[in-house]
Amino acid sequence: MATFELYRRSSIGMCLTETLDEMVSNGTLSPELAIQVLVQFDKSMTEALEAQVKSKVSIKGHLHTYRFCDNVWTFILQDATFKNEESAETVGKVKIVACDSKLLTQ
Amino acid sequence: MASNVSSVYIHVVDDVINKVRDEFINFGVGENVLTELQALWEMKMLQCGAISGTIERPPPVQKPAAPITPVHDLNVPYEGPAEEYETPTAEMLFPPTPLQTPIQTPLPGTDQSMYNIPTGPSDYAPSPTTDIRNGVDLKAGRPSPYMQPPSSWMTQRPLGVDVNVAYVEGRDEVDRGASDQPMTQDFFMISSGKRKRDDYASQLTSGGYMPQQDGSGDVMIEFLLPENQPKEVQESMPGRDRETAIKILSKRETEAAPVLPQQDGVNDEYDDLFHFQGVANEDYNTPAEHVELRAATPAVGTPKPAKHEAVEDDEPPLNEDDDDDDDLDDLENGEEELNTQDLVLAQFDKVTRTKSRWKCTLKDGIMHINSRDILFNKATGEFEF
Repeated sequence: MATFELYRRSSIGMCLTETLDEMVSNGTLSPELAIQVLVQFDKSMTEALEAQVKSKVSIKGHLHTYRFCDNVWTFILQDATFKNEESAETVGKVKIVACDSKLLTQ
Repeated sequence: MASNVSSVYIHVVDDVINKVRDEFINFGVGENVLTELQALWEMKMLQCGAISGTIERPPPVQKPAAPITPVHDLNVPYEGPAEEYETPTAEMLFPPTPLQTPIQTPLPGTDQSMYNIPTGPSDYAPSPTTDIRNGVDLKAGRPSPYMQPPSSWMTQRPLGVDVNVAYVEGRDEVDRGASDQPMTQDFFMISSGKRKRDDYASQLTSGGYMPQQDGSGDVMIEFLLPENQPKEVQESMPGRDRETAIKILSKRETEAAPVLPQQDGVNDEYDDLFHFQGVANEDYNTPAEHVELRAATPAVGTPKPAKHEAVEDDEPPLNEDDDDDDDLDDLENGEEELNTQDLVLAQFDKVTRTKSRWKCTLKDGIMHINSRDILFNKATGEFEF
């Protein structure tokens, strides 16, 4: 089953990647096993986001760049506002990377 | 709330660790490696602020100093549901089962894995599903040397990989350029070079009309083949240049002198300036190139223009600054900094546009903005292009 490697770029994903990097570098872990861990992370992260998170966010901003390649949308927004139930955040520049949700269910 | 995000992350960590436990066992890797992985992972997350320090979970990882076996924290209520995660109890459980005993000898296994490591990275260095990393993975296919820890097998670090690639590429080009010269030199050497010089060295003293093979006039060396083989030269040269060559030949004959201070050729000063051109490159390039160059300059001209153009031929100006644009530069620099930039990773359900108004519906996303992590189940975006 294919997974979205998208979430590996998040904080939690990067921490895992760095940890696996170190362990493979010092020989504690084999690279094949490290890939297995990452694939499992992809699945677990996706499931957790679906099941455990219930919040809704609205995003507004100026679209500076848009790109659609390999079924992945990449937007770069400027002066964007993120609103959810509890807070509103504004950022000068943010990048949004979004994979096609239909690809997972196929 | 941050604690919600933390709890979700902890849940993910637990889920991953549990699900890979079987894989670890299949691979013959010990449970302590798995524990170490979990501990290191959680420690890093604590350090980067992804999870808060107060984790309501029996296996405490608040002590970064003990990565391998987390100390059992007596302050935490013991009746937590994750009792099975506790390493001390797990270890107590394991030894009795005979199945685990092979795993208790990790040393030969690790030795083997160490031997396998050099081949490991090459197996999966180019990740197949890196399409989402638009700006970063231009170099995804490059096998980096393994000994550079951060980028050895993930090829994910832009700076590290870039540096390596630039260095390797530069080296390759230099090597290629340099190796071409000796090869062509050798070729011409064999056919008309040193041998002819040796022949003529003995004949120079005879004071006859000998075409000068070296010295200040050796710029035209490829034309000044021995008189007994004029046909080869003239047949191989283009018509116009043949006349030039013949003129030069006659000129050389009149100027022939036994001893002339050599200003170019093997001992010229240009070698110091243009190392990569190789030794005496003006002699052994293809005749056609030099013919054109010579036609442009007077017969006694120095090789300087030749080398200049040769330099430009090998290294055309990169024109790196042609498209300098502030917007472009800022954007590209920004796109390189994936970790410091605010980022939203999600899946999209729909993306539409009407004139310059874009709308999208996203789901299941992680946002990292203003150094905070926010998760969402659904998001709607309205952007103005």
